[in-house]
Amino acid sequence: MSIGRVTQRMLTDGSLDNLQRGLGRLARIQEQLSTGRVINRPSDNPTGTTAAMRLRGSLADQAQYSRNAQDGLGWLTQVDAALDSVTGTVKRARDLALQGANASAAGPVAREALAIEVEGLRAELLSRANTTYLDSPVFGGVTAGPVAYDATGAYVGTLGDVNRRIADGVVVKVDVDGPDAFGDGATSVFAELDALATALRAGDQAGISAGINVLNARIETVTAARTAAGTRFQRLEQADLAAADARISLENQLSTIENADLAETTVDLKLQEVAYQAALAATSRVMQPSLLDFLR
Amino acid sequence: MPGSFGSITSALSALRYQQVALDVAGNNIANATTDGYVRRRVVGEAVSSAAPALWSRYDGHGEGVAVGEVRRMVDPLLDTRVRREHGMLSWLTSSQEVLARVEEGIGEPGENGVHAALLAFRNSWQDLATNPGGDAARQQVLGSAETLAQALRLQVANVAGEEADQRVRLNNVVAEVNTAAAGLAQLNQSILVTEQNGTDAGVLRDQRDQLALRLAELAGAVTTVRADGQYDVTVGGEALVSGREAGAFVVASGVTPAGDADGLPITFRVDASWGSTVLPSGAAGAGGELGGVTDVLTTALPSYRTGLDAIAADLASALNAQHALGYDAAGAAGGPFFSYDPLVGAASLQVAITDPALVAASSVTGGGRDGANADALSRAGDAADAYQRLVNGFGTTVASLQRQSANQAALTGSLDDAREQQAGVNLDEETVNMVTAQRAYEAAARLMTTLDEVLDTLINRTGVVGR
Repeated sequence: MSIGRVTQRMLTDGSLDNLQRGLGRLARIQEQLSTGRVINRPSDNPTGTTAAMRLRGSLADQAQYSRNAQDGLGWLTQVDAALDSVTGTVKRARDLALQGANASAAGPVAREALAIEVEGLRAELLSRANTTYLDSPVFGGVTAGPVAYDATGAYVGTLGDVNRRIADGVVVKVDVDGPDAFGDGATSVFAELDALATALRAGDQAGISAGINVLNARIETVTAARTAAGTRFQRLEQADLAAADARISLENQLSTIENADLAETTVDLKLQEVAYQAALAATSRVMQPSLLDFLR
Repeated sequence: MPGSFGSITSALSALRYQQVALDVAGNNIANATTDGYVRRRVVGEAVSSAAPALWSRYDGHGEGVAVGEVRRMVDPLLDTRVRREHGMLSWLTSSQEVLARVEEGIGEPGENGVHAALLAFRNSWQDLATNPGGDAARQQVLGSAETLAQALRLQVANVAGEEADQRVRLNNVVAEVNTAAAGLAQLNQSILVTEQNGTDAGVLRDQRDQLALRLAELAGAVTTVRADGQYDVTVGGEALVSGREAGAFVVASGVTPAGDADGLPITFRVDASWGSTVLPSGAAGAGGELGGVTDVLTTALPSYRTGLDAIAADLASALNAQHALGYDAAGAAGGPFFSYDPLVGAASLQVAITDPALVAASSVTGGGRDGANADALSRAGDAADAYQRLVNGFGTTVASLQRQSANQAALTGSLDDAREQQAGVNLDEETVNMVTAQRAYEAAARLMTTLDEVLDTLINRTGVVGR
């Protein structure tokens, strides 16, 4: 723009405009510094806003996946502990059966004692099979009831997967179906122990050795169920770690997009302050003189 | 030969002229900061009767000076451009201010907006999926659903409130347009009469230019100058002021006098003695502040509101459909989760369930502790994506308006500068004019004294030889 003629009003208006602009820039940087964010409203950076919202969505998801995995780990820990002690109990029962087979001549009193101990083990197993996590029986599927097996050894749970979503599109089963480990009704470990106790009492050698075979098979079954649960436990742990890692990296990205770089913003602020002061000084000089100062 | 007193008359004319020059300089200085004041300049004319009568001869050397005119230093072409760009600027700033205000209410990206509520709602379903037996998790789902519905309703209420405010503003602007148009027509008449009397109508012309500029800012009015100097004003191609007569500018449809929406598109009409015409709509219609307000009321605000409505509708239908596939704590099939009235929009979004036991988290009948449906519900619909798109679109609109209005402000500023160069008062210049006039006045007075002495010599000292 070529300036032909300059008037006082042009100078004052122009200076005022420039001062206002300088103040506006200062206010903007002040806002960034005081909120610590470069995006304070969508129009500050529409693309950045969308990215920030997406990242916030992913962050919330990962936090939830982490929580889900933790909860799943709780379930599987309980399952693992229960199955561990079940294995021990069944082994003990098998040992008793072996003892009964060898000591068949020991007389009814000794056999009776063995039978009573087997019955005790059965009761212990029943309580293991009804282990709960947060009031839900872990071998009971999705049952709303308090137990997975009733006193007769019949399965009273509701078969159904208890799943936890631990990543996008990844769902993991965190329980073990009771019948997979303990069997059901006539084929359950409880019926097997009942049969063993009966055989011990009666001194039925064939029954006892059949019981030993059945219990060996049972140990295999329980161990297989435990191994499967252990694999899932590992998956959950990995997912939990992955979710935690993802959160850190997402938070970093979010901060890069949303947050103000403190050093840069502070330098900017200083720069704008200097510019503003210069504008003020220039204004005060421009406004001062007029021809009247020099005419006498 | 000029008469003996001819030069005295010249001196007198000079004294009078310099007096006027001082007056004008004084007036310019007095009005140096008056808005809309255009500096005046005295244009002197040398007086001479150098066109003598037939068969006679003029041997004078001029008979002094007279005031030719007191000129207002305006450039009509520049004024036209100034008005046009001011109209555009006021369009952009008024719409930008409105949208920026709405944008502040959106609160994204942040922890208190609709998006955060959507995420919390999603996660509360996941929490319920991990703990389907707990009453607390069910209660939490209902609580976060209520928060989400409230956040959506609040945002819709913000937009609707802004729309109501802008409708009232529209009526106010229309009233101001009418006042300005009537004032301008009145001034057209006054200026014509005053100038026919031979009186200086500069002040009235200043006022009229200001009103023309105001009309451009208010309604994007275009002013044309008639051959006789009167201003004709058109808005959207339709005459609003013609000579001394102004039409009535009214809202034809869209907004009632009370400021309510009547459901029709917003249009304007000019009622005048030369007929009643409805203005075209859109960019061809009213401009300026009126155009900006009409624009946000017609496009930006309603489209954002319908975007929110669509999100609420999708949310309600997706959640309700998935909820119906599940079973509540008692094993009964799930009822509607959200209630939504498509005729009212997002403002009607409510949580339809109050009893936590009725939340259908389970995918199996018989009241099992299953959370599969809660998991599915946490993934139902794509409200978060739709909302992100909506916010992005709105933010882009506001950002682009901000850029446009900053550019337009720079352009308008440079035009204002150009106008100020032409019409503004420079104090140094006026001081110089003042000093010049003062010196010329002194010289004319000295001429008078000199002539007096010459005549004195002629009258009192001539023919006194030997006395």
